Amino acid sequence: MDCVAKLKILLLGESGVGKSSIILAFTKGDYQAQFPATIGVDYNCKVVDVNGVKVKLGIWDTAGQERYRTLTSSFYRDAHGAILVYDVSEPKTLAKLNEWVEELQVYTTNKNIVCLVVGNKIDKPRAVTREQGQAFAQKHRMLFIESSAKTQEGINLAFEELTQKVIYLYMHLCCYIELNSLFV
Amino acid sequence: MNEEIDEYDIYHQDFTTVSEWEVFIARIEEILGEWRLAKSSIPKSAVEYTKKWITKTEEILFLGQKYTLSYHTLDFSRSSDDSEGSEEKPLMTHIHNGLWEATSSFMDDDDGSQFPVSNWFGLKRFLVLYPSFPLVDGSLIKLVMSSANIAFANVDCGVPFFVKIREHWQHTYLGFYEDNQYKISFDTIHLKRISNQCSHLSGLVSLFKSKIASPVALDAVVVSTKFSYELKDFEAFTWKKTTHSNEFLSIDGFDVKKLIELPFGSEKNPTSSVLLNAIWPKFRECTIVESSTFSDIDPLMAPTWTITLKMREKINCQLSDIIQKMMNLLEDNNLLMDTLGLSRSLGLVNPLHKITEAPITISKLVKAAIGQGRNTSEFKGPIADDLLMPLLYYIFPDAVEDDTFNYTEQLEVEFKQDSSEHKLCSYVKTSPEDGLVWRLSVTAARLYDAGGLAYLAHLWYEFAQELQYRWERRILVPGVAAGIPNARTCLLHQKLQLLNCCIKRALEGSSSFAGNSSEDEFFDCTDDEDGEEQPLWDRPAGRLNRLGEAMLKNGAPLFVPRTQDPAPKTEDQLEEDAELMVRLGDDAKASELRARMMSASLLSDMEAFKAANPGAELCDFVQWYSPRDWKPEGGGSLGDRMLLPGNPWVEAWSVARPVPASRQRRLFDETREAEQVLHFLRSRTVSGAAELLLPAILKAGAIKAIEEGVTSGTNSVGGVDQRRTYEIAARDLYEAEKEACRALCMRTVLGSSVEGKPLDSSGRARVLHATGGSLPAPVRKEFTLRVKDAVAPQVMRAALAADMTIVGAFTERIVCL
Repeated sequence: MDCVAKLKILLLGESGVGKSSIILAFTKGDYQAQFPATIGVDYNCKVVDVNGVKVKLGIWDTAGQERYRTLTSSFYRDAHGAILVYDVSEPKTLAKLNEWVEELQVYTTNKNIVCLVVGNKIDKPRAVTREQGQAFAQKHRMLFIESSAKTQEGINLAFEELTQKVIYLYMHLCCYIELNSLFV
Repeated sequence: MNEEIDEYDIYHQDFTTVSEWEVFIARIEEILGEWRLAKSSIPKSAVEYTKKWITKTEEILFLGQKYTLSYHTLDFSRSSDDSEGSEEKPLMTHIHNGLWEATSSFMDDDDGSQFPVSNWFGLKRFLVLYPSFPLVDGSLIKLVMSSANIAFANVDCGVPFFVKIREHWQHTYLGFYEDNQYKISFDTIHLKRISNQCSHLSGLVSLFKSKIASPVALDAVVVSTKFSYELKDFEAFTWKKTTHSNEFLSIDGFDVKKLIELPFGSEKNPTSSVLLNAIWPKFRECTIVESSTFSDIDPLMAPTWTITLKMREKINCQLSDIIQKMMNLLEDNNLLMDTLGLSRSLGLVNPLHKITEAPITISKLVKAAIGQGRNTSEFKGPIADDLLMPLLYYIFPDAVEDDTFNYTEQLEVEFKQDSSEHKLCSYVKTSPEDGLVWRLSVTAARLYDAGGLAYLAHLWYEFAQELQYRWERRILVPGVAAGIPNARTCLLHQKLQLLNCCIKRALEGSSSFAGNSSEDEFFDCTDDEDGEEQPLWDRPAGRLNRLGEAMLKNGAPLFVPRTQDPAPKTEDQLEEDAELMVRLGDDAKASELRARMMSASLLSDMEAFKAANPGAELCDFVQWYSPRDWKPEGGGSLGDRMLLPGNPWVEAWSVARPVPASRQRRLFDETREAEQVLHFLRSRTVSGAAELLLPAILKAGAIKAIEEGVTSGTNSVGGVDQRRTYEIAARDLYEAEKEACRALCMRTVLGSSVEGKPLDSSGRARVLHATGGSLPAPVRKEFTLRVKDAVAPQVMRAALAADMTIVGAFTERIVCL
């Protein structure tokens, strides 16, 4: 496949917030009510079109369990973007995202990583308001979106926003050389 | 070719007979059209110009010779709001304004443009047609000029057009610009010697007046003058030599400190000349007299003095030299140990063959450190012992009692999240400052610089031998940050961190074997008492602590087991892992395979859990391991997704046997990993070793540059790959070093004054003192003569040095009757 750029995207967040489901919804347009808990790290890819440019997204799914932190953090290397997922029906999962933000700061090797906060499961009764999610994203200077892997709502948009932002950032903040580093 | 065609004729024309000259003109027109340079396409309202030149070029063949047509324009930012408000003026007015403004600067100022014409005439945009050969033949010059004229008129060009003539170094340009009212001619005269008539102001004024077509009032010409004096003995004045020699090699009382510091700056005076400019910015032609016989001009009376420092084109910077030498090694793909002829004895001939045997020789350092004396039969490298030993003690200071060079306790690795601050070479992966990797790398660079590749190889060999020894004797490597390999540090540092992990693990392993029985790993607490009654095979093992108040489904307290940590890995290993996972593809099957690859540590944890909690069920394990998949109902049950048939958690639980972590197969095989690190280091090619050493050399160089007063970072952010990043860093450092040299000279000469800005009275006194109170004859004189007559500004400028350049821009009205 003729891709112009390759991006590495991480999905992080508490176990059971729907990281794997979001990836499934995005890559295959599919949904399963129950999905086995991810063990360690999994990988998926999808080619997307950003303003007429083909970009290959290598999406790294991580297990949310505490025990896996050491293992998963070793895959954070050189990621261009991170999607931090919480469950809008469970306030704890948003509070826990703080830990992931710290984790990212400690282990990422890319100073210009772009982060997107996703409030997932908006098809379920909501216990976290949109404003709370927004406030979190604002505090950490991240993108914010709400989604439902079940209804597909917001899923494509989430990846599109993130991809565009990464490419935009590399074109505007940095010099062309680093942009070249994205290109195949 | 531009023959009129009768409108009613069918369009057909014969181009077979057009002359080469016509083709030439047509080609120029075509290019001007392509670049949209007609008057109608050029903005006529005021715009803000930046200082950046944009250039377009095209090549044209004419009479078998190559010509280049180039367009140069200053980049400008046009704010859309203003464009409506500000009035549009003809392009000619803009050119005249620019010309007038330019008279306040001097001909040798640099405006960053490729051609001096923009600076001479204050042009914001211009075209130059220049041949690849010296255009000296008068009739050919006329032919080219008239071609340019015709093309210019045909496209109604809105940009001054220059043709470069004569030898290239003479910088002679003939140019013109016209609209339907006025015509400007831009002329250049270059003479290799100064003509008598033009050697002084009076002569130039009369020449100027004769060139102006319209009459000028007496005494209307305004003159500015700059006389430049070359300061003699500036060598002593500008330059404090800071050389760095390699004399440590021969001196008996060898001083490590001399070797371990990176040199910086230029060895020779980097200035090519220092000019004192005496400037009279503005006076009427009659107020100062300078003729062939008499001169009023006294530099001491000049209102303004400035200093211009000219640097040599190529400065040899000592730091950059060393770095460049290391960079050159990146091309050498031979094994580094081949340099010493050791590849075979180290088992490196077949790169696939892993070393499993201990090397034949043991580091000399080690021998010295443990007091065994020297064994003459062992490998003898090119570096003499009395140089080698202090170096190795410097890199491994814990091997001697003397603690001059001990590493600091806390080795921090700085990593700035904040990308707004661009520190020099911040994109190069670092390692702890003044840690082992730094010392090794800097020493290696200095040794290579002094003694060539053999010296570098010898140091590398001894380094690897010492690591081997430390691994065998379980002695930690000093000067390395604690913990598992940190992917933000350079690879060599990560490898050493991994080696230290191996050594630590081996130490822990042997100590538990030596003294403690495995029973000690039981968690002793009162709750455990009833465990005594359990049969031996079912006794809990490897408990770490209780998990709060959590209970197993069978009512027993839940214990967190001791577990194995995931194997520490360096970035190249992680890269391999990630690649393997990517290669598996992205279908369901691949996903399953990946889950299997990942299950090793899950299985190990399950086994440890079973051992610590006899009779536990999967839901108990999940309560500890993945609490969000555990439901408290009925003493504990599994969440929905854990109940999915064929789910890998259930599968793993069913095969897990109760085995405490201490008796499990190691997830991290320290012996294998350590040997791989050692083999990795020994089997480097020359370029591979250079790649490992360069990050710390570049970083140390950057720190050195900052110490020397370099403040500017760059906007570079590194390259596509490591090698490119090194190249960018080396370039940035060279620029920084050059800048520092220049700044140093500048400070010595100017004190607190700024280059190009008028000196204050103390600055003038300083300079005058340095010249011994009087100035020599000027090396260069420059005059700008200007007048606004009835037509437009008329300007003539003359620069008189060993040769003479006179340029003029004269506007005349085009008389149309």
